[in-house]
Amino acid sequence: MPSPSSSPKISLLSTLSPPSSSRAWLTAPHPALPLLATCSSDKSVRIYSLTSFTLLSSITGGHKRSIRTCAWKPNLKGESVLATGSFDASVGIWRKYDTDDLNPKPVITPVDFDARDENIDEYEDEEWRFAIVLDGHESEVKSVAWSAGGNLLATCSRDKSVWIWEEVGEDDYETIAVLQEHEGDVKCVAWHPEEELLASASYDDDVRLWREDVDDWGCVGVLRGHKSTVWSVSWEEVTPKVYGEAEGKEDGENWMKRREASGPRLLSCSDDMSIRVWRRNPKEQVQQSRLSIIRNGSSEEDWVEEARLPVAHSRPIYSVAWSKTGRVVSTGGDGAIVVYEERWRQASAEPTSKSVVAQPNENGKGESSGSGPMDGVGTDEEPTQELGGQEEKPAEGERYQQATEWLVVAQFEGAHDVFEINHVAWAPRRDKGGGSAAGQEELIITTGDDGVVKVWTLDV
Amino acid sequence: MSEILNANPTIRNASDLPSRRRQDTTQSLSKTPKGLFASTVPASAYLPDPFSPHSLDSDLSEDDDNEIEPIDEQEIYDLISPISDPEHPLTLGSLSVVNLPDIHLTPTFPEKGAASPLTTLTVLITPTITHCSLATVIGLGVRVRLEQALPPRFRVDVRIKEGTHSTAEQVNRQLGDKERVAAALENGTLVGVLRKMLEGCESGAA
Repeated sequence: MPSPSSSPKISLLSTLSPPSSSRAWLTAPHPALPLLATCSSDKSVRIYSLTSFTLLSSITGGHKRSIRTCAWKPNLKGESVLATGSFDASVGIWRKYDTDDLNPKPVITPVDFDARDENIDEYEDEEWRFAIVLDGHESEVKSVAWSAGGNLLATCSRDKSVWIWEEVGEDDYETIAVLQEHEGDVKCVAWHPEEELLASASYDDDVRLWREDVDDWGCVGVLRGHKSTVWSVSWEEVTPKVYGEAEGKEDGENWMKRREASGPRLLSCSDDMSIRVWRRNPKEQVQQSRLSIIRNGSSEEDWVEEARLPVAHSRPIYSVAWSKTGRVVSTGGDGAIVVYEERWRQASAEPTSKSVVAQPNENGKGESSGSGPMDGVGTDEEPTQELGGQEEKPAEGERYQQATEWLVVAQFEGAHDVFEINHVAWAPRRDKGGGSAAGQEELIITTGDDGVVKVWTLDV
Repeated sequence: MSEILNANPTIRNASDLPSRRRQDTTQSLSKTPKGLFASTVPASAYLPDPFSPHSLDSDLSEDDDNEIEPIDEQEIYDLISPISDPEHPLTLGSLSVVNLPDIHLTPTFPEKGAASPLTTLTVLITPTITHCSLATVIGLGVRVRLEQALPPRFRVDVRIKEGTHSTAEQVNRQLGDKERVAAALENGTLVGVLRKMLEGCESGAA
């Protein structure tokens, strides 16, 4: 049984102001600064402060339809670069010099993609400048992602393709790959935290992995198992974190050794209301597995479904995110936020998935959510995996794999009133209320159909 | 759309369509088809929404802005039956594309009872012919009409009735994909078609 001391609680810290008046799709935390970028169906991106929780600036005028996605370029100093993807099939790159003061100063920069050359010099330093539009996709762009090094940008679309762009000069991007093996909309792309390995999630129910082999980018793995659209994928951090204490010291060490050889794992969430954990089998240990892919090339990787998270959502799961401290958060059409932890399994006890349900608290009472404490998942039984239809654990018999288990540790229903939640992310806490563990504490950022972005603490 | 896919659809008489006397009958009398016995049902016979958290509150204050209006299957039917078929000057109700018994309201979280206001609305549509290529547009029209008319506590699932369409699964996937639906509503051509379909509905179009 999990000890009572490790029962986190989800509490509302702030509702970002002012919200978007229409559906907001996604909020991307800045990799270094206390900033959030929120994409909205009103064709704008709102830049909010994560210290004052207010709007700092907006990017408007570039895209002709909803902005579905955005991503901050990592590893920059003195300047921020944001990539945006829109239902207008284009990807925009935007730049802004970082200013010391992050005081609210709403800046509107109307930009016409067609007339960019004449306009570009007129902007002042503290404004968002439109840099370049990346055209190529034939229909709505659904997701954009920068590689860990920042030199590669991946984009994906309803046109079933994944494009990889390389920055070859200042505001100069070259298409280095157009990957077309998915058989449906590509919903999400995400880069491995270290390697130039890309994961993509699709309407065709599959997750694919892509990397460069000699000169060509190609598919190196297909992760099959979901029964419907895979909405989102998220990579584990390089250093894993498992909660609790390992029963046997040796089991824990073996697990860590094995995990080190496999590298970061991948999470996927789906319309089938399941969340799956995928692990790479290290090359030298490739075994026959019914879930393994057919190996027909040297660059092929063997990925297996390692675990499924407890079933906690009753509508499509639109977003899942793995935190720096090893926790996982998910959200979706049911409007619930669910936090999971991977814990060392206590061999002596029966498998348990007892979850701790967050009660609406003082911070949350101003919200007219109308939802009381929910007890849907708080049962003592192992959640049934109704949708998968495969009760048995993959690659059973591998002892190290039984060393850990996933538990729901916190839950908040009706987090955006009655609205669906489209996206969830983790961000380090930066405001003054952060307490002694400043910089260590992680916030949960949710983005909803109500146009609202909410910031939550996980009180451990 | 130059070729009519189903030239001779079965059409129901307006008087055969399910209906109920509405409270605002004076305005809608001319529009709303009346059932044979509709006039015998007093307006006070409305059943409260069984899924409304407030339906059991006897002392509910009337000026509560958060009060949830009771909405039942007949009301849903009344919202979608006047939608025009994209290729006939006929309504989805009269073509039996939408039917009262194929509309279901259920609590999204039945185990939570009144604690959750979310309600799942499932509408099964019956295309006039099994290979109707307009099934997706019809389904989209139904979904759009409902999402515009109903409060956000409703989760609207529009699907093709089992066994009535050759590519039902494909159509269902598209209709259930929130992102695709959102993008479709930014497509000018499609919005034009939808607007025309929804012209006959009381409070406007897409």
